[in-house]
Amino acid sequence: MTTLTAAPRWRGTDFGTQVLVLTQRSLRTLVSDPRMIVFSILQPLIMLTLFSQIFASIANTPGFPQGVAYIDFLMPAILVNTAMQSALQAGVGLVTDMKNGVLARFRSLPIRSGSVLVARSLSDLVRTAAQLLLMLVFAVVVFGYSPAGGVTGTVAALALALAVGWGLGWIFLAIAAWLRNAELMQTVGFLAMFPLMFASSAYVPISGLPSWLQAVANVNPLTFAVDAARSLALAQPVTGVVGALVTSAVLAAAGWIVAVKGFRRPL
Amino acid sequence: MIEAVDVGKAFGAQKALDGVSVAVPKGTVLGLLGHNGAGKTTLVNVLTTMLPPDSGHAKVAGFDVVAQAHQVRSRIGLTGQFAAVDEQLSGLDNLILIARLLGATPREARARGNELLELFGLADAAKRPSRTYSGGMRRRLDLAASLVGHPEVIFLDEPTTGLDPASRLGLWEIVEGLVTDGTTVLLTTQYLDEADRLADSITVLSKGKVVAAGTSAELKAQVGQRTVTVTLADASDVPKATGALERAGMQPVAAENTLTAPVTSSREIATVVRALDEVGLEATELALGEPTLDDVYLTLAQHAA
Repeated sequence: MTTLTAAPRWRGTDFGTQVLVLTQRSLRTLVSDPRMIVFSILQPLIMLTLFSQIFASIANTPGFPQGVAYIDFLMPAILVNTAMQSALQAGVGLVTDMKNGVLARFRSLPIRSGSVLVARSLSDLVRTAAQLLLMLVFAVVVFGYSPAGGVTGTVAALALALAVGWGLGWIFLAIAAWLRNAELMQTVGFLAMFPLMFASSAYVPISGLPSWLQAVANVNPLTFAVDAARSLALAQPVTGVVGALVTSAVLAAAGWIVAVKGFRRPL
Repeated sequence: MIEAVDVGKAFGAQKALDGVSVAVPKGTVLGLLGHNGAGKTTLVNVLTTMLPPDSGHAKVAGFDVVAQAHQVRSRIGLTGQFAAVDEQLSGLDNLILIARLLGATPREARARGNELLELFGLADAAKRPSRTYSGGMRRRLDLAASLVGHPEVIFLDEPTTGLDPASRLGLWEIVEGLVTDGTTVLLTTQYLDEADRLADSITVLSKGKVVAAGTSAELKAQVGQRTVTVTLADASDVPKATGALERAGMQPVAAENTLTAPVTSSREIATVVRALDEVGLEATELALGEPTLDDVYLTLAQHAA
């Protein structure tokens, strides 16, 4: 038993190492169970498949941007949508950790509570990036996605979708830190996001919506995110990219403050 | 090593801790005894910096649990009622994770993880996800996890609740080894025998208050001795048996077809058998009763009344 106290004592480590180690941990769980990634892109893949087939004729209606294939119009919206679903999963992941018991362990260690949240957020960013890339590959190979913006535009749209998802992720982390109930979060998140997606410019041009929905879509923050991503992918005059990035940063900052506060409450 | 003075904590109107003071010298074990809801876990949570006290103050390893929470956390280990391990990770990866968070290099962390797994008999399961572990293995991994940083003080919150007897014994031996090495331990338990075996001193909590404190021997003197209970086939033999036991120097109390008498050691069972034999009686059942936590409470309540 003497081996128990023979080695030097460790007293803790800096914030950067804490974040790094904790991020690696979350990613490792992800790699050891890749089913999570596969299943999490099933829904957006199904939407991509259905919408690209069902709504393909929308491209021939007046009000639709001239000379743009529906798949090229749809894909940026799917990227934003997937990033948002993924943001919800960040919150669910935090709640799962809390239930798992491992967070109780972290609380008794000399680490900053913020590092657990930052690590969660970073690993979800990586996971989302992997999801979006898979979606893009699928869209290119199966549906012939080739927007006017080319690779540069597409990568920019992907980066924007990631930024939006990351900012929103902090909101869900904040909700998770206070609510601490995965089922409730999933239900509320789905109920909030599903109508938001449809009452926006995501699947059809706003001018094609009934007038009451147009009113909603015009103030829907998702419309701005989708329009910004689309303008990048389609090499159109860039609109709202700065706005989307600033909004994301504000969401992240607000989420951070609330999340850290909620997270510090005793389990 | 642990010093709590007049610690109070309320959850709404419920006083979980009502002026609790404990002191645990270095290298000793304090057994914190009490039923569910007595305040044991709340006290552990205060001392491990998880929960700030409403009143009073406490120091662990020389640091204040509120003002110097970080220093306290870098010197303690905590094993709670539920295994706090990452079920997705293997046993080894769990320990590496904690060592890294404490500041070990990857190489040091791996060495420490393997060392602990070996010590806790988990080396064969090192690479398996911990969700595949049995309850006993998970508890051992949890205890190993709380030892990664060579803590000066270890808190064990009902470490053997729900464990089978063999795992229980194994855990006791590990704790005894730690204490031999100079670690200070605070152990909460509902089992008198557990406190009896491990603790140098025992504090009994009830409804958030300390109702008794002292060594195991001191407490037992307060609680009364062990008892032997004799069951007779025929209730009409009870007076005859009572007389026989009294002649043997015991003070039996009769109830229906049983007799209960306090004893000082299990050897007195032989005295009982002989005394009964002399009057031509045979017990259908003989049982040695250990004082239980209930007896402690009952006796303490009687003292208080």
